[in-house]
Amino acid sequence: MQIKFTWRIWLWIVFFILALISIFITPTFLQQGVIIKEFSQNSSAFEQGLKVGDVITHVNNNEIKNVEDFLKIVPEQVNTLEKVKTTITTKDAEYTIFSDKPLGISVANLPKTNLKLGLDLAGGSRAFIEAEDHKLTKQEVNDLAQIIENRLNVFGVSDMKIIPVSDLFGNNRLSIEIAGATPSVIKNLISQQGKFEAKIGNETVFIGGEKDITSVARGGQESGIYSCNQISESESVCEFRFVVYLSQAAAEKHADITKNLDVNITSQGNYLSKKLDLYLDDKLVDSLLISEGLKGSVTTQIQISGSGFGATKADAYDSAQEEMKNLQTVLITGSLPFKLKIVKFDTISPTLGDSFVKYLFLAGAIALIFVALVVIFRYRNKSSLAPLIVCTSEIIITLGVASFMKWDLDLMAIAGILAAIGTGVDDQIIVLDEANQKENLLSIKQKIKNAFIIIFGAYFTILASLLPLAWVGGGLLKGFVLTTVTGITLGVLITRPAFADIIKLIEKKI
Amino acid sequence: MDKENIKKKFAEFHDKNYKLFLLIPLILLIFSCVYLSFFYSQHNDFFYKDISLTGGTIITINDGDLNSLELEGYLSSRLENANIRQISDLMTKKQIAVIVETKNSECNELEIEKTKTILEDFLGYSLIEGENSTIECTGSTFSGNFYKQLLVAILIAFVLMSIVVFIQFKSFIPSLAVIYSAFADILMSLVVINLLKIPLSTAGIVAFLMLIGYSVDTDILLTNKVLKREGKSVNQKIWESFKTGITMTLTSILAVLAALFIVGPFSSTLFQIFFIMLLGLILDILNTWVTNVSIIKWYALNKEKKKNAN
Repeated sequence: MQIKFTWRIWLWIVFFILALISIFITPTFLQQGVIIKEFSQNSSAFEQGLKVGDVITHVNNNEIKNVEDFLKIVPEQVNTLEKVKTTITTKDAEYTIFSDKPLGISVANLPKTNLKLGLDLAGGSRAFIEAEDHKLTKQEVNDLAQIIENRLNVFGVSDMKIIPVSDLFGNNRLSIEIAGATPSVIKNLISQQGKFEAKIGNETVFIGGEKDITSVARGGQESGIYSCNQISESESVCEFRFVVYLSQAAAEKHADITKNLDVNITSQGNYLSKKLDLYLDDKLVDSLLISEGLKGSVTTQIQISGSGFGATKADAYDSAQEEMKNLQTVLITGSLPFKLKIVKFDTISPTLGDSFVKYLFLAGAIALIFVALVVIFRYRNKSSLAPLIVCTSEIIITLGVASFMKWDLDLMAIAGILAAIGTGVDDQIIVLDEANQKENLLSIKQKIKNAFIIIFGAYFTILASLLPLAWVGGGLLKGFVLTTVTGITLGVLITRPAFADIIKLIEKKI
Repeated sequence: MDKENIKKKFAEFHDKNYKLFLLIPLILLIFSCVYLSFFYSQHNDFFYKDISLTGGTIITINDGDLNSLELEGYLSSRLENANIRQISDLMTKKQIAVIVETKNSECNELEIEKTKTILEDFLGYSLIEGENSTIECTGSTFSGNFYKQLLVAILIAFVLMSIVVFIQFKSFIPSLAVIYSAFADILMSLVVINLLKIPLSTAGIVAFLMLIGYSVDTDILLTNKVLKREGKSVNQKIWESFKTGITMTLTSILAVLAALFIVGPFSSTLFQIFFIMLLGLILDILNTWVTNVSIIKWYALNKEKKKNAN
């Protein structure tokens, strides 16, 4: 039996294959190992030159196939007392790390597909930001996006999406999405203005940002936590300190202000009569004593300290670490031009997400089986199984486009795919029904043409009803609109014409 | 021949009574309108809104052993307007999480912390966002704004959809019948949702928009066949469309039912979408095959009569 495929069927096959490639050929296709997602702040692995995105294949010559393998060998990421040697083999190189600091790597299994799950399925945080008492313009939102991106980068968040959005009513806001589970400290980083001021008395010596501060020490001997103490049974405190390098102008200002101060002589040492007060968003964070030797001197190097509290020493340590990182971040990036407020904030844990995806597939499969049963029962011929194949291919092609365009598949996007498949089934039933009209003497070609008049009519009607949604709420529903519109457009242009041609082939054979 | 006989009898019955059939949807339409106006006068809105539209905080505690009744009792004296729900796995019936909703007016960090502290006191452990719990917060100004935009979007969608329908059929009454059918699907589903006291979320409103798409499918099929095909009697054309259209609706209903039962219990978002679609699809059977059929039959027969008179 010779079957001659039409160009429509070939087009469909090409799209189908391209979609499979777009979904499954990942950058790490056929490789084994784990991929580096993030480094902690004083990671020894990072210092040795490992990068985010590197694929680790072996640790100490043990083969690593998944995250469990990795965690078995690198169980706890703690400071060790002695230096430990670790060899890490990646796809391209081998690294030998000899350090008493933790490796500080967090890894994930290699992605099996290029599909990106949205926030509500993969877990993570999202915030919508507006300015308090001020309607942001487009330009302001764009500037803000850059500053916040910089701030989050400095803080060490890498996997994020910051998008300026505007809605139907012309409100501009910022949408910030951070993948993975994110601690509440991120919330502070976004919502605090981060206006840092160092004052002696009423005079400002320097402020946060690159104008006054040339650099901030963030590792090595010049930055860290130097003491932890238990204050009471239920509270501990840890102190941190780090060095800040001031610009020449700020250093001269410091000299100017301190030169007129008196010296207090105490048993602990000799200090100037006024302290250096550190303010963050107009709140006093710390007051530092200025030693006698600094009086009137042009010093570009200042040590800043602070503390963190917690119920246990470990908690206090974490809190001090966070405080320090926070302070360093605002010192480097400076203050935001507006006081911001979060108008919507969501964190979603990935635990629910995993089972979601599983059940979504089950639901999809069962729905398709139901559809197939109805179609088989109704038409009882060999073309009745075609809708099943066409629907599956429509899902795959839509997902292929989504992964090619790097769209996030959130719950609403999946609802959108379902909606598109639904119209697909409807359209195929229309084609089948027209083709199967026995009393109709028209040629099969004319019958199919009749079917497509209806299909395109319905297509444009649905398109018209969905498009306005894309602008609602600054793109919260964009995923839904994009997938639905893509699904139905590819459907009426590629899969459903191919389906019609298949039916023509089958009908001609009979 | 028995089958043919029934068909013939039904055709005669339909020919005689199809105009009367219009009374059924008319009564339902009047009831819906009266009910919704009454509802509006009571609640100052057309439906109950959930937190995604009114604003508030949703805290999900991923704890399979947490007793939600005890928690409810504990919170009743400590948190105003707290609403507690459970999520369970469909297969094992095991509880996965407990959800606490509060109506905070804005996303105030202090207020959220306060709620968290109250919960932590009951739980005996601390809630870590993204690990054992999730927090979703929507400010009321933001959600109010969002809600208004959704309504505007529905309005624009209806206008655009109507334009497309008019361009397709270029005749007033049949186009109006298609648009009315979509409108009635939405209106009547909304009444059912209100009677069941289900608060609508953002996703729910989107589902109503999706109904437009599913609703017009069958109506466009019907109108196309009846108006644009030559050579057959109006009844024949309607019968053919009915066979096709009801298969379409039936497959959609079955697919939605499968989705509703499998993923519905997991995600209130998807549950609401599928539930509204199910309602709409069922009501669409009435609005297409009773209302729209009667209107288009009336219109087509009238046209034929005029043609014959000429």
